[in-house]
Amino acid sequence: MVHPNVKLADSNIIVKAEKVNKYFGSLHVLKDIDIEVRKNEVVVIIGPSGSGKSTFLRCINHIEKINSGHIYVNGHLIGYHDRSGKLVEDSERNIARQRAEIGMVFQRFNLFPHLTAIENIIEAPTRVRKTPAAQARAEGERLLVRVGLADKRDQYPNQLSGGQQQRVAIARALAMKPGLMLFDEPTSALDPEMIGEVLDVMKELAQEMTMIVVSHEMGFARAAANRIVFVDEGQIIEQASPEEFFANPRSDRTRLFLSQILH
Amino acid sequence: MYHFDWAIFLKYIWPPSAFQDPLIRNGLIVTVIVSVVAQALGVILGLFAALGKMSKLAIFRWLSEIYIWYFRGTPLIVQMSLLFFGFGVTHIYDFPTIFLGVVAISGAIQAGTLALGINEGAYMAEIVRAGIESIDPGQMEAAKSLGMTFGLAMQRIVLPQAAKVIIPPLGNEFNNMMKTTSLMVVISAGELFYGFEQVNARIFKPFELFIAASLYYLLLTTIWSLIQARIEAGLGERKGTTKGPGMMQRLFTGAGGKGVR
Repeated sequence: MVHPNVKLADSNIIVKAEKVNKYFGSLHVLKDIDIEVRKNEVVVIIGPSGSGKSTFLRCINHIEKINSGHIYVNGHLIGYHDRSGKLVEDSERNIARQRAEIGMVFQRFNLFPHLTAIENIIEAPTRVRKTPAAQARAEGERLLVRVGLADKRDQYPNQLSGGQQQRVAIARALAMKPGLMLFDEPTSALDPEMIGEVLDVMKELAQEMTMIVVSHEMGFARAAANRIVFVDEGQIIEQASPEEFFANPRSDRTRLFLSQILH
Repeated sequence: MYHFDWAIFLKYIWPPSAFQDPLIRNGLIVTVIVSVVAQALGVILGLFAALGKMSKLAIFRWLSEIYIWYFRGTPLIVQMSLLFFGFGVTHIYDFPTIFLGVVAISGAIQAGTLALGINEGAYMAEIVRAGIESIDPGQMEAAKSLGMTFGLAMQRIVLPQAAKVIIPPLGNEFNNMMKTTSLMVVISAGELFYGFEQVNARIFKPFELFIAASLYYLLLTTIWSLIQARIEAGLGERKGTTKGPGMMQRLFTGAGGKGVR
């Protein structure tokens, strides 16, 4: 098979987006997005609602399709192969294989309600990776300890609080041992008193993982991010380290956004 | 003034005496078995038609649409006659008798079961589709984000949840199916109603015999309603949500009764 799927030379680049454009009908939601995320980097994407930040995140694991441009994950083009300049969608199996290497945490948790916490966690390792059940279970239990929910192993999602559900969802994503974790507004659907417990887990993860986080949690961004990317109307307006970003926002739009969100 | 023949009536409503007539005994057995097999076939075809309707590939969508359009848009009795008589006379398929050990399954029973199942599939398709669509798309997204293919995600994540939505209307479909098997009388397939017709042809007591026939169907559907209520109570317990209609409501509001197709 012809697969001119140029592998990026620099293996430290986990995500690379080039001129990514995305439309919903006539609405241009992503406009020439260019970004690179390096190994072990924690990037927090912020921006007003409707700015396209969640859409971009969902393009990174090809849950949303892009209309033009390229997104590479772990050095490989995701969701497509390039046939003399034209993007051709990859086979379902190839896409699934790539997605297995990318963890995703959703705003509404999306735990599987018919499965217990531990079953949620071991479902993909046993079915996709074919890990033996006993081994998957042992690893799953270690992950539950890590997110502080060892005692909730056999509970169903509707028996858990929102914060607990989100922590199980993080463990579920980690069970696939992904090289990259995507967080799509992971605390937006939580009651305020539960946000802390989820952010604590994320902060700990940020020490050792490559993460892209769409969030409004400025405290988390300040504490855990290596870089903050501000997106508005489908464009990256500016990106900088948290210190610089909060101290000296360069564009008016960033200043306006920060004044709205930080008071 | 009509003289109601109590002796005949009582003979044919009381199973031990009615079953001495093999037409009635075998007819009841055929009705129950054909209902179960045809319903199972309908569920399988309905699942494929529902997935076909939701497919990305236009050819699968069209095939499903045409299937559903034709089989919901034409009478079952015509479909059944076409399949049995039409396929027989053209030798497209002759429906030869199948022997399973000591049991012989006549061509008419095969054709009748097939027609009932294919027809049912067209109705089940909508029920299955509605069940699948009732599941939050986030479930499929989460499954895919974990590296599952569409098929695996359907099988492990979406369908097990959709089943809880599908089972109550499926129960109603089965209730209907047991009554609809009586249409097989047009191809003389030997089910329960055919049995009563044959007895009537012999002794001509249509009033007594057809009341008795109706009571057998009532018995079947009532027993099924009881089973269905238990199944749904079990479902309700596990998911901890709303329960279906109660027993009395189910019997007297005609939940599921839809008449002849």
